[in-house]
Amino acid sequence: MLTPDASPERSSWEVTRSVWYAMFMREAISRTMADRMGWFWMIAEPMIFILIMVAIRSFIRSDGLIVGAPFIPWMIVGLMGFFLVREGMMRGLGAVGANQALYAYRQVRPVDPVLVRNFLEGMLRSLIFLLFIAGAAMLQVDLAPDNALLAMSIWLSLWCLGLGLGLIVSVLGTLIPEVGIILRMMIMPLLILSGVIFPIHNMPHWLLEYLLLNPVVHGLEFLRQGFFEGYQRVPGSSMTYFWLVTLTCLALGLALHLRFQQRLIAQ
Amino acid sequence: MIDIRGLYKRYHQHSAADWVLKDINLTVPTGVSVGLLGRNGAGKSTLLRLIAGMDTPERGEIHRRARVSWPMGLAGGFQGSMTGRQNVKFVARVHGGRRNVQSVIDSVEAFAELGSAFDEPIRTYSSGMRARLNFGLSLAFDFDVYLSDEATSVGDRAFKAKASKAFKERVNRASLIMVSHSEGILLDLCQAGIYLKDGGALWFDDIREAIAAYHADSDAVLSGQGISSATSSAATSSTATGARRVPPERAMTVAQRSGSASTVRAPVPSPTSTAVDGNDRLDAQQPSAEGATDDALEAMDMAELRHELRLRKAAFDRVKATAKRSASGGAQDSTDRQQAAAITIARDRLHTARRLLQARKRQAPPSN
Repeated sequence: MLTPDASPERSSWEVTRSVWYAMFMREAISRTMADRMGWFWMIAEPMIFILIMVAIRSFIRSDGLIVGAPFIPWMIVGLMGFFLVREGMMRGLGAVGANQALYAYRQVRPVDPVLVRNFLEGMLRSLIFLLFIAGAAMLQVDLAPDNALLAMSIWLSLWCLGLGLGLIVSVLGTLIPEVGIILRMMIMPLLILSGVIFPIHNMPHWLLEYLLLNPVVHGLEFLRQGFFEGYQRVPGSSMTYFWLVTLTCLALGLALHLRFQQRLIAQ
Repeated sequence: MIDIRGLYKRYHQHSAADWVLKDINLTVPTGVSVGLLGRNGAGKSTLLRLIAGMDTPERGEIHRRARVSWPMGLAGGFQGSMTGRQNVKFVARVHGGRRNVQSVIDSVEAFAELGSAFDEPIRTYSSGMRARLNFGLSLAFDFDVYLSDEATSVGDRAFKAKASKAFKERVNRASLIMVSHSEGILLDLCQAGIYLKDGGALWFDDIREAIAAYHADSDAVLSGQGISSATSSAATSSTATGARRVPPERAMTVAQRSGSASTVRAPVPSPTSTAVDGNDRLDAQQPSAEGATDDALEAMDMAELRHELRLRKAAFDRVKATAKRSASGGAQDSTDRQQAAAITIARDRLHTARRLLQARKRQAPPSN
């Protein structure tokens, strides 16, 4: 027999920690093992994506070279960064609903699965990126970051943006199902608008002003600078703007979770 | 001890009308097992969820000065895509048993007796298997108060026996708050009762009283629907012999007073249910079938009251026997209604007297 708490009362932090631990173990298993060939697709999906994009690009050859960076590594870095944000957001979308049954235990709150899933997703994406860098090194393609410190800090920043978006989307998507549909529709255009596949340097200024409202552009440009020493960022990109948006998303997401906690549980 | 103070709960915002629970004030003492009674939708499960901390009330507060389990029930608690073992592991980890996870799994596996299904996804389980797992899981933890929302209702005979045995074994250490429509199990496991009605809660020190009150009300609703088209004079008891008429207002106040006397700790419920109202009025307009009227009861001493109670019990039995005879003889629909009304009246009179007697007993000091 197990006494629920060894000491008379566990502190809130201890309770939260054991919930996160329990949730992480379960999410890690269901993410990697439960899906058929879950591991395989995690690596194969970005790889196939890159192959298709390279094929299209070499077919079209619409514009010139990218200043200061080889094309394929440039795109891989962009894709990885974009996927990190995208997965942070999309994993959050289903997180609250998928764990509906577990709110029967008062220790578990709707925000827990979102945080845990985002953490897990970030870990997996980082691992996959490392695998890609190692794989590229074996193919004699230089994908190692020139400025590793900058690259890592920007990588973490993108992770935070994904978490912030995931927190917001997890509440809104659970309360309003249409949000999920619209988001899935928006993902593909966002891939192009974020300058992942085609560089946005050559866009006219009036259009660039609007494109730079998207925080992912700022993050990706700095991430690429971390990887390629001589890379010319899109003029106007700034990490201050990126972090303003990220912190706003995080605060808004946490506030939404506080405000709608009961409704999320009662869904 | 669980302390509930001024509790209000509703599910739809912005409409004042539909409070599920209204101003609940209760104290569930340590070590007393309580049965929750009430009609479907009366708020039994809601109250249980609030006690468990799954939900927060709109107003009021709940103090849990005990380790309270999650509500064991048919719905929730397990994730369908994970196996029984994985779910048990999760719950053990949530409750902080890092080192004891294996011992929890072993004890649940032994109690639930699921065999190889323990390693199958929960969504393949039958409702009985889920109940076994849920029950075994909560018993693996050392809670002070276990909450059960019809958790035992789907189990087979052997499991029910096992479950109630497990609870009786730990009756000194733990208590139970349970929702069940099976009165056998309530009588078996609970001492006290809470009857939820019209958003209010009535506390009964004896579960049998709670069940009686619940029966009285649900029967009243049944017969209230039955006699809606019949005239009040048609509902006269067949044994009516000369007794005086009671003005309706007078009878109502007596009924309220005797009702409140039995609810020592709980707030007085507002007698606003239309079905109950109609019944009271009907009762008041009828000539008393047997013995004294309700307002005369107040003046009686204990011995007279006991006698009156016996008389009313006899009258009730007689009316019921008549109804049974005519039902087997294939009676008309209208006679059925009359008899149903007569039974309700007799039962109400019986309960009024019984409640008053019990209230008196409680007020009077023990005679030893």
